Amino acid sequence: MNILKLLADLAAVDPDSYERISGRRGVLASLGQTGRRAVAAAVPLAFGAVLQKAYGRQSATVLDTFTLALTLEYLESEFYKQALASSMTFPGNTRSVIQLIAKHEQEHVSFLQATLTASGAVIPAKPKFDFTGSKNGTAPALYPAVFQDFGTFLKVAQLLEDTGVRAYKGQVDVLITENDLLEAALRIHAVEARHAAHIRGMRRALKANVRYWISAKDEVITTPNVTDAVYAGENIDKQLLPDLVTFFPTPTTQILTGTKEQVAISLGEAFDEPMTAAAASSIASLFIYA
Amino acid sequence: MSKIINSGGDEAEFAKPLYVPIKRRSFFMYAGATAGATALLLSGCSDDDDNGVTPAGMVNLGAGDVGVLNFAYALEQLEAAFYARVKASPASDFSATEKDYFVQVAAHEAIHRDFFKAAINRDAPGKIIQDLTPVFDTIDFTKRASVLSAARTFEDLGVQAYNGAGKYLKTPAYLVIAGQIVSVEARHAAYVRDLISNGSFADDSIIDPITGLDKALEPTAVIAAAQGFIKEKLDATNVGK
Repeated sequence: MNILKLLADLAAVDPDSYERISGRRGVLASLGQTGRRAVAAAVPLAFGAVLQKAYGRQSATVLDTFTLALTLEYLESEFYKQALASSMTFPGNTRSVIQLIAKHEQEHVSFLQATLTASGAVIPAKPKFDFTGSKNGTAPALYPAVFQDFGTFLKVAQLLEDTGVRAYKGQVDVLITENDLLEAALRIHAVEARHAAHIRGMRRALKANVRYWISAKDEVITTPNVTDAVYAGENIDKQLLPDLVTFFPTPTTQILTGTKEQVAISLGEAFDEPMTAAAASSIASLFIYA
Repeated sequence: MSKIINSGGDEAEFAKPLYVPIKRRSFFMYAGATAGATALLLSGCSDDDDNGVTPAGMVNLGAGDVGVLNFAYALEQLEAAFYARVKASPASDFSATEKDYFVQVAAHEAIHRDFFKAAINRDAPGKIIQDLTPVFDTIDFTKRASVLSAARTFEDLGVQAYNGAGKYLKTPAYLVIAGQIVSVEARHAAYVRDLISNGSFADDSIIDPITGLDKALEPTAVIAAAQGFIKEKLDATNVGK
């Protein structure tokens, strides 16, 4: 499987995803209960069975989601692996912390691979990554010092972790009838959020102006038209519910005392926002050259 | 039905929340032998289940999506009340930065609480649970260490609660919202854990060291763990059912 083609395909189908999901839901409604009996020890196998049924019924959406997830985990895992193998200096206890995060990302890779294997799907090969963003020297580098300067490394780490959190969140509705797959995705999603918060804390230790949660008060570290998709739409201060009428907060909602600006900032921070497969794919593609 | 969780608030139950889902699972295994009768029993209970308060004085979170929303609302009430106390009278050994951060966290949790209140009142009028009475007797709000320890308990429990309850939501928009909130709770959890011990944001006590997955708890187990901090007895038996 060509990962770049896959990412392009994911981006291309995204506008139709709602329709695809809706159609899929009817087809798979009867499968909803099967996964719940899975025992922890047999998890990838049980998951695989569900995935295979979904795939076998010509609905690749669940498979798309897991393939996107694996791509993002490859990306993160390889990022930390290359950083740890580099000659970059890790101050204080940061090497052991990055080793722990790298271990989690590798575990996520293994978990997703096992799930795909159990489903009979072909595991996509790990792409080739260039974390300077220079596409193996064929384009201007976005982060030339990514594995030389610790501050740059942490910036890219924050972008990748926050992207991961948003990307998993963007896929949960695809998994809504697949209880065990959904729960596994949510459990990975929470780990990525813990990573993101700690990376942000590490940046704070280097005097960066950033909070542990995504905030309008964070200093901007993205580049317009290149990486700004990472936080696009993150700090909205209203939430939509099923009928797509903006309803929270209502004009009469009593939330907080404070200035209007403070309340808006808190509202933006209190909810992380999902990201489409298309956006996640385009961000991942910045660091993939083959 | 309510007798099932009568022991929910005692110390023994609080000490071993992880056992609860196993007990429930085995209960349903036995029940499965007479599935038809069980189904009738459950449907026969449904009128009572939908009430906010049972005659026994127990707060029933309800069934289906509304049950999940009430479940989340109960937890967010607890967290919001906790951080409101922290904000109003912060421990004297908190740094200025820490005080400022807990003001931010207090705002997030108050917003989550108010969000669920507004959502339930809009989408399921009359089904919302009452305002709960927090019991924080075991927390010394004058001591940083005590506050951080309680905060860690609440935040990790919140993450595990959303991780375990997401699968019970049938409405996609609510599932996405739950995802939007749980990652913020996970960020809080990481922050608090790092304040207690830098680098413990995702240690092996909280993340499965083999799979790299965060934990997930069933609603009844979450409520068993939270019950010691809430005066009213909560019944989560039918959440998501």
